Amino acid sequence: MILDVSHKTLYRYSAPVVQSQHVVHMSPRALPRQTVRHHSLIVEPAPVMRYEGTDAFGNIMVILDIERPHKEFVLHARSTIDVTPARPMDWSASSPWDDIDNRILLPNNELDLDTIQYRCASGFTPPSPEIADYADPSFAAGRPVLEAAMNLTQRIYEDFTFDGTATDISTPIVQVVKQRRGVCQDFAHLALACLRVKRIPARYVSGYILTKPAPGQVKLQGTDASHAWISVWSPQAGWVDFDPTNGISVSDEHVTIALGRDYNDVSPISGILLGGGAHTVSVGVDVSPVS
Amino acid sequence: MTAAAATTVRSAATDGSDLLTAYRSTQSHCYDEFLGPDGKPRGQWLSWLSSMGAMPAGDRADRASRLDRRVRETGIAYDIYADPSKPSQRWHLDLTPIIFSASEWHWLERALTQRARLFDAVLNDIYGPQRLMRSGHLPPELVFSDNTYLRPCQHILPAAGPLQFYAADLARGIDGQWRVIDNHTETLAGLGFALANRVVHSHIAGDVFKQANAVRLANYFQALQGALTTHAGRTNARTALLTPGPHHADYFSHAYLARYLGYLLVEGSDLVTKGNQIYLKTLEGLKAIDLLIRCVDGRSVDPLELDPGGFEGPAGLIRVCRDHPRLVVNAPGTGLVQNRGFGAYLPSLAGELLGENLLLPDAPRWWLGDRSKRPQVLANLDHFVIRKAQEGTGRPGQAALGQDPRALTLAERQLLEREIALHGHKLVAEEKIGFSAAPVFDRNGLVPRPFAVRMFVARTADGYKAMPGGLAMSIDPDRAVALSAPDGHTRDVWILSDAEQAPHVSLWRPTVETARVERSQRVIQSRVADDLFWLGRYSERADWTMRVMRSALRRVTEDSGPAAGRRGARKCLELLLGSEAKITPGKDADLEIESLCAQLIGSSKAPRTLERTCNGLYRVANLARDRLSLEAWHTLSKLRPGDPWSKALAQASPGSMLDLLDEGLASLAAFNGLMHENMTRNFGWSFLDMGRRLERATNLSEAILGLFIPRPGEDEETSSLMLLLEIADSYITYRSRYRLDPMLPLVLDLLLLDEANPRSLAFQIAAFSRHMEGLPHASDGRGLAEDRRILLALLTSIRLANVEAMAAEQDGARLAKLMEEQLELLPDLSNAVARHYFNLIDDTPHRVQTRSQPRN
Repeated sequence: MILDVSHKTLYRYSAPVVQSQHVVHMSPRALPRQTVRHHSLIVEPAPVMRYEGTDAFGNIMVILDIERPHKEFVLHARSTIDVTPARPMDWSASSPWDDIDNRILLPNNELDLDTIQYRCASGFTPPSPEIADYADPSFAAGRPVLEAAMNLTQRIYEDFTFDGTATDISTPIVQVVKQRRGVCQDFAHLALACLRVKRIPARYVSGYILTKPAPGQVKLQGTDASHAWISVWSPQAGWVDFDPTNGISVSDEHVTIALGRDYNDVSPISGILLGGGAHTVSVGVDVSPVS
Repeated sequence: MTAAAATTVRSAATDGSDLLTAYRSTQSHCYDEFLGPDGKPRGQWLSWLSSMGAMPAGDRADRASRLDRRVRETGIAYDIYADPSKPSQRWHLDLTPIIFSASEWHWLERALTQRARLFDAVLNDIYGPQRLMRSGHLPPELVFSDNTYLRPCQHILPAAGPLQFYAADLARGIDGQWRVIDNHTETLAGLGFALANRVVHSHIAGDVFKQANAVRLANYFQALQGALTTHAGRTNARTALLTPGPHHADYFSHAYLARYLGYLLVEGSDLVTKGNQIYLKTLEGLKAIDLLIRCVDGRSVDPLELDPGGFEGPAGLIRVCRDHPRLVVNAPGTGLVQNRGFGAYLPSLAGELLGENLLLPDAPRWWLGDRSKRPQVLANLDHFVIRKAQEGTGRPGQAALGQDPRALTLAERQLLEREIALHGHKLVAEEKIGFSAAPVFDRNGLVPRPFAVRMFVARTADGYKAMPGGLAMSIDPDRAVALSAPDGHTRDVWILSDAEQAPHVSLWRPTVETARVERSQRVIQSRVADDLFWLGRYSERADWTMRVMRSALRRVTEDSGPAAGRRGARKCLELLLGSEAKITPGKDADLEIESLCAQLIGSSKAPRTLERTCNGLYRVANLARDRLSLEAWHTLSKLRPGDPWSKALAQASPGSMLDLLDEGLASLAAFNGLMHENMTRNFGWSFLDMGRRLERATNLSEAILGLFIPRPGEDEETSSLMLLLEIADSYITYRSRYRLDPMLPLVLDLLLLDEANPRSLAFQIAAFSRHMEGLPHASDGRGLAEDRRILLALLTSIRLANVEAMAAEQDGARLAKLMEEQLELLPDLSNAVARHYFNLIDDTPHRVQTRSQPRN
């Protein structure tokens, strides 16, 4: 499927910002199932410095330095992406989750560091007894790793309620487990923490999802949003994506922007301002299929 | 001690053998640094021992107390904001050093520099090709689980040049072998403390040091300066030490080192990135920085790309480092290899990377991320101490003790086992290796006391070089496995030389007190200008307050003047206390003055008590510390919160209070004199003096208004004029000019209008105005800046005042109007200057992040 994505963010400040610097992860990366046909990122006001490079996780990262005093800041990313559906997969054909420890190797038998790094806890996914207890029912001894991951994905979907007001960026996952509420980032972090307690490589995916209007309704402009889910590694299939917020495995309606250990590595925009006072932000995302 | 007694002691024990009695009788299970297996002192101690033996006991005690005083005056302490009455916060330096022989030192230097080379190679691999991890020489999870591994620095660090600073904590086990108990690759790890200890110690025991033929530090620091200049790539490089600020426990060390090396001391908020450069915010605008010496944690130096909560460096620093990787030493990211988990892998890494055997191993410790080792550790838990693998142990003596399983309850033990299962990759299990003991003096003479020592290595033009010295700290061997010495008992470290020592070439030239001959700091950060302005204000306020109290108390104790003199004195005290002044109606006038003085010293809630003023003075002096000479800093030590002087003052009788106030005023006069004589006449000086002028103008105007409006009776007016002349230190000038009893128009002329009298109001405003003319304008193109407009109004109204006419008015309306006008405009002037120069608005960067919350 070919998808058009428009992602526009507008900041308004109550006082002039003297200098603002931003790290931006809004440019989709190329992946085995994903080809980027077109991408543009418009920034206003114009930065004095714009660095485009690859971050430590292979994502496209843009760093902006704006030194002109401004009270508005606009970022508009537009992309056209070709996504191939995932091949149907037999979860039970993957290795037992407790038997992949010594199999994270490159073809030349060296350790596959790029994969191993996603097995370690990160700032948003700290291990704790509560997390280990929540994870346990999905990880019976010898269970195939992808089957366990799918089970965990569905359990989170069933056990947790989506609630945009229950958490903010700083809410620890232990709190999320306790209150059984949160948003996609919280569910992704929880799933990652559970998998990593079991030493399974798992990474955070930042991206978009195609949404469909209710039957008979017209889809409204700007009502989509950026989304977060996870990707789990197995020796047979490599990386396979699961979406705990929707309780599904991922096919061709998810567009990946960036991959990391957690939200902090791939936050769409994170910036440091001098001046500016209070700010308001409005985000509009549209994802639409190109016929 | 009489001369005869001293001679007896001297002749009895010139070889120091009587000092050994107590030492020999103390049982010690440690390796003994001092006495060999034959019970005789080891060779490196002989010269020291004979110097000490030849020294009369009284001389030794005297040196020890002078050493204490020097340490206190120099201000070496962990935390200046901590409660000074708590002894645990203090820094102690023992008269006895730790002494190393030349041959042992040669070996240690080789071993330490080998480790620096090894860590440099390991870092270059991890932040570069990562061969070690891929091949399994280093467990990847050891690196990936450590948040001092800074991914954004991948490929930047290898371009940053070799690891510049390395420090190792060493302990000698019972087997006589040295082992490394901790490594420091993140910051300078308290190098300034070691330097300060040496400088202070040489003042007291320089003769003994010289006699022993010990090696001086200056050559090492010169080589370090040379290496940093080379690293920066230009001769006039603007080099700055980046410190977390005065709240940090090592701030003293940072400030001391910056002063010694002649570098700027900056905080993150002093810096800003623009394009691909970093700049220092100064009064004259932005100045590019060529080299940053990093004394803050790597992950806190850039909130944009590293720890989002870390504002200890300028946002965007890593982005700038991509273009200029050599900008920061140690480069951000180097802290990784101080992870204790590396210890077990170092021998094999030395073989792999250097093709050498590791000369000096770490103490035996197991990284608990290695699951194959865990069962062994859990089975023998009592043999180990469980500690964090990565701990910011840059502060000397502040390493955490860790969890000793033997001290745990069963429940705590189970918790620990669960913690190892969940967080093993962040923990190590350490075996206790013990610490060797060396002598210190206690009441009975020399006794052995265990210690550990921190040694410092730096990259120079000739490769890595170890500092011939160190920082030794006394350790409780039953509890510690690392440099955990929270009570801060330190010792200097001497390295003996087998060669002749070059003459003294300290970098403070020509004496310790007058530093910075080569590089005067022309650059003044906006923040420092602010601090100096307040330093001026507080020092003048303290001076005025003490003068008022002294004059008031004289009128009580010297009991000669008419009662009218007491009314004026009381009035001045009340002015300083403001609405907080507590008056008991009908109280005896003398008692009332004594009570007001006690309130003003500190018991009152008023904002201008002497205690608050001295606290403020000491605080801003500490903030501007790198701008003050050591001598100027010493003179302030009396005014430090908790000093015996301030305690005595709070409890003194009126008579002894006068003496104490004289002492306090003398200290302030010495401070002001040193600042006046020694401070370069740059913008920093201008702000210091402007602060002083503004404060003096305010106090004087307030006193004139309070004393003469409403106009008092004739008698009281005369005695109030006397009082005012005394407080304003202008009595002698007045008498030599007029030879008359004080009269209002003449006194007003002298104290208001006479621009030649440094105590007059006109002088203060005119001096302020002259400073402003010299400051950078930063004109906004809309005519006169606000501060200059206020100043003009102040100056004009004084210059146009007619004192004859004012004095002739019965209601004093014009005098009142003039003084009220001054008192209204002076605070406005202070605020306008702050707005113009101290950069209040854009000082605090903050973070924005969007979070979007989708659901289909």
